[in-house]
Amino acid sequence: MVHALSEARRVLKPNGVLIDLRPAAVHRRVGVVQAGQYHLLGVMRERLDDDYAANRAVADVVRRQFFKPERRVRFECNRTMDRVAEFRGWLNDFVSLGKLAPHDWLMRRVERACRESDVKTKIVVTGPLDLRVLRKQER
Amino acid sequence: MSLRIDPEQNEVRALKQVARWRDLEVLEIGCGDGRLTWRLARLGATVEAIDPDAALIRAARKQVPPRFASRVRFHVGRAGKLEYPKETFDLAVFSWVL
Repeated sequence: MVHALSEARRVLKPNGVLIDLRPAAVHRRVGVVQAGQYHLLGVMRERLDDDYAANRAVADVVRRQFFKPERRVRFECNRTMDRVAEFRGWLNDFVSLGKLAPHDWLMRRVERACRESDVKTKIVVTGPLDLRVLRKQER
Repeated sequence: MSLRIDPEQNEVRALKQVARWRDLEVLEIGCGDGRLTWRLARLGATVEAIDPDAALIRAARKQVPPRFASRVRFHVGRAGKLEYPKETFDLAVFSWVL
């Protein structure tokens, strides 16, 4: 990661800006919206090791004065799905790519919430993103 | 397919807050299927977008709206070995990469 940041620094013009945009090291929440009401169904159990490692890499290039931190913004970024099958596909990919423990318990909660509702249900995965602005430093 | 990422457009709003994108030469690292790339072009930037996954780059080329096509270029590439001369870009975006 530090090498990738150094490469980015190399191709940036003097005083150029690096934006690091990625999910915050926070567990995602899964819920449903039914008749305008949000119902939380569960909090995912991701591994956050990679997020912490990325934070350390950014701190490292700042300490080495490759970049100067200028700004940090955190905001919510939702994924919404209308169908259980779409959520199942997304969850399977997420668990597989992240090498996570199965989230069958969460799938069951979503299926039950959708099955037992008489109104249109929207499935919502919520998690904040962090946006960091770093200014290239000349050394 | 009804999967929507960031329907509230918070991501683009935050990006607009932190930079003036018009006429900037931007390198997007980890562009995936180009979801963010053409949004950066819509803000006025010219974007060179790379991702190591060739299938995603093919998808990104197909999905870019024609009106932004002249301002975005997609290439297979890796963050750790950028095939660009030094001091090429005004701004670089690590897009869900680190």
